Amino acid sequence: MGAIESVESRRPGGYTSKVRVRDRYHIVGFISSGTYGRVYKAVGKNGKKGEFAIKKFKPDKEGETIQYTGLSQSAIREMALCTELSHANVVQLEEIILEDKCIFMVFEYTEHDLLQIIHHHTQPQRHAIPASMVRSILFQLLNGLLYLHTNWVLHRDLKPANILVTSSGAIRIGDLGLARLFYKPLNSLFSGDKVVVTIWYRAPELLMGSRHYTPAVDMWAVGCIFAELLSLRPIFKGEEAKMDSKKTVPFQRNQMTKIVEILGLPRKESWPGLASMPEYSQLQSLAAHRQPSQYHRGSNLEGWYQSCLKNGGYSSTSSAGTPGTDGFDLLSRMLEYDPTKRITAEQALEHPYFTIGGPISGNCFEGIEGKYPHRRVTQDDNDIRTGSLPGTKRSGLPDDSLMRASKRLKE
Amino acid sequence: MAANYWASTQRRHWLFSREKLADIREALWEKDKVAHSQFPLPDQRLLNIYFNQQLIKLGKRMSTRQQAIATAQVYLKRFYTKNEIRQTSPYLVLTTAFYLACKMEECPQHIRFVVGEARGLWPEFITPDVAKLGECEFALISEMSSQLIVHHPYRTLSELETELSLATEEVALAWSVINDHYLTDLPLLHPPHVIAIMAIFLAVVFKPAHPVTYPVTAQSALSGSLMSEGSGLQMLAALSDKTGSGPPPKIQKLIGWLAESEVDIKAVIECTQELVSLYEVWEQYSEKNCKELLGRMVKSKNLDK
Repeated sequence: MGAIESVESRRPGGYTSKVRVRDRYHIVGFISSGTYGRVYKAVGKNGKKGEFAIKKFKPDKEGETIQYTGLSQSAIREMALCTELSHANVVQLEEIILEDKCIFMVFEYTEHDLLQIIHHHTQPQRHAIPASMVRSILFQLLNGLLYLHTNWVLHRDLKPANILVTSSGAIRIGDLGLARLFYKPLNSLFSGDKVVVTIWYRAPELLMGSRHYTPAVDMWAVGCIFAELLSLRPIFKGEEAKMDSKKTVPFQRNQMTKIVEILGLPRKESWPGLASMPEYSQLQSLAAHRQPSQYHRGSNLEGWYQSCLKNGGYSSTSSAGTPGTDGFDLLSRMLEYDPTKRITAEQALEHPYFTIGGPISGNCFEGIEGKYPHRRVTQDDNDIRTGSLPGTKRSGLPDDSLMRASKRLKE
Repeated sequence: MAANYWASTQRRHWLFSREKLADIREALWEKDKVAHSQFPLPDQRLLNIYFNQQLIKLGKRMSTRQQAIATAQVYLKRFYTKNEIRQTSPYLVLTTAFYLACKMEECPQHIRFVVGEARGLWPEFITPDVAKLGECEFALISEMSSQLIVHHPYRTLSELETELSLATEEVALAWSVINDHYLTDLPLLHPPHVIAIMAIFLAVVFKPAHPVTYPVTAQSALSGSLMSEGSGLQMLAALSDKTGSGPPPKIQKLIGWLAESEVDIKAVIECTQELVSLYEVWEQYSEKNCKELLGRMVKSKNLDK
């Protein structure tokens, strides 16, 4: 009962951590930073074995001294969810240490992530990720996502940078900072965080202003990731429209255009809920500005897919192998406009893409020659190398939205 | 996890046997016998009634939903299995539990707002410094090992509503019984579905003659019939030895369902008895008495400093 001792030795209600980060871990270097704080690489100390990634949530500063200001809702969610969750394809939490007004979430260390793996395949020139590796990655990712969805957890920020890969090729879904439970939420999912999911991976119903979104938003993101693994480029690389001076969430016209260019315009006939979406009039104005030929054109996803296979050298006779027609069918079901028709994680795992064509390895590197570079760990604490890239930084409102509301008032 | 109570931290770490819970409290008492004799406090259930009333007051001013209040009550219970109440400032702890529960139940309130409201209610116990609440939040999360997701019986109730064709009135009464169980140790002793079934059973068997319209507590609606009759309890007891002479037809359906389900009937009976004894002890409740004893303790020990 260390807490009581600490209460006795200090003042009542005072808080002293029973465990100290520095007693348990040796910090090796800095990995990355975000709006939440910083991530460090560490190794265990005093008999504790293994490598770890320690996520340090930065406390708010009031003047020069760090104060207790209440934890952000995003930190609370991530702590509670990571403590509760346990699955081979979800990042494993080692422990949480609350010390010196900071939170340290200690995770297992993962050597790679999909952003880094995709990047590696564009260097020095583009060479496709082998089809068997893509299949293993996707299967493990869906497996982890099915676990989350079965447990009523929406991830809401799936993107290559958040899909971690261990040195033995296991996929771990990471960064649950935007995740939340969706079982009968007290407030609608919209009222908490007005913007979720990094723009390139944002589902069309979110772009259309939906207030009642579902696990289908995560499946759209998986579709985008699948496409990116094959083409080595984000499939819908739009530019984010920033909030205007009134801090209202704008219609993401450019992002929607990128989707329409490949999938064609969404239609009321195939997406019955479309006309009642808040941004429907915006979509119509977008349609009005397009060339008639484009307007009437349906989806060109198949064309996109075929040229992607061709450019990547994917074929049944090549060393890369091919995701084949089953791969296309699965992709098209993930990139389905209507969220109620979009394939679920459970259905996707039963898709012929996985069930036909031999066993799937739990090690995505199995049979792969060559090595991927290790995660970059620097000694420079101020490195913001990847901090402002759209693919690596969350663009949502990760923290307590009320806090922001009060900030907004001040501004 | 959210959908899976069986794998949850609540089941793995926060479900105790009666004996275990008694041992834990005994150990806390052993550590600070002096304070115990110096500062006697009312029965834990009476204190719980008082804390609950304070939480409702706090919640009302911010129009918070019942589930956040329920979560806050569970946080208090968990925290006080690890800390002796006489070494804490209960007003600070309950305000913090409320603040944290609101975030966890997705109806967040700004820390300044919560502190402001709490100060409005208990000016002599809450300082304007928000850092106090922030620090207490660390203590609360740490003592609960970041296990903040709470499974409540309300969900089972709403899931069974249709299956058992419960009337609106019965659902309302069962809901109130669930509200009341947070005043006992039951949330630390039984899984939420057992509590929900106990609540449904009480509501169906003791459906009061006068319609209840979502009372905050079921005490007034139920205590009379529970204590005077006891027939419902016998009926419930008869369920466990299936040789009983048979219940009235109106609860036939419920009993049929219970018999088929694998619910621990003994546990349901135990929960019912716990509720009955809560309603008995409730007769002695005095808000004034709780307030005075707590106030004297906090002030003499400088716990609010």
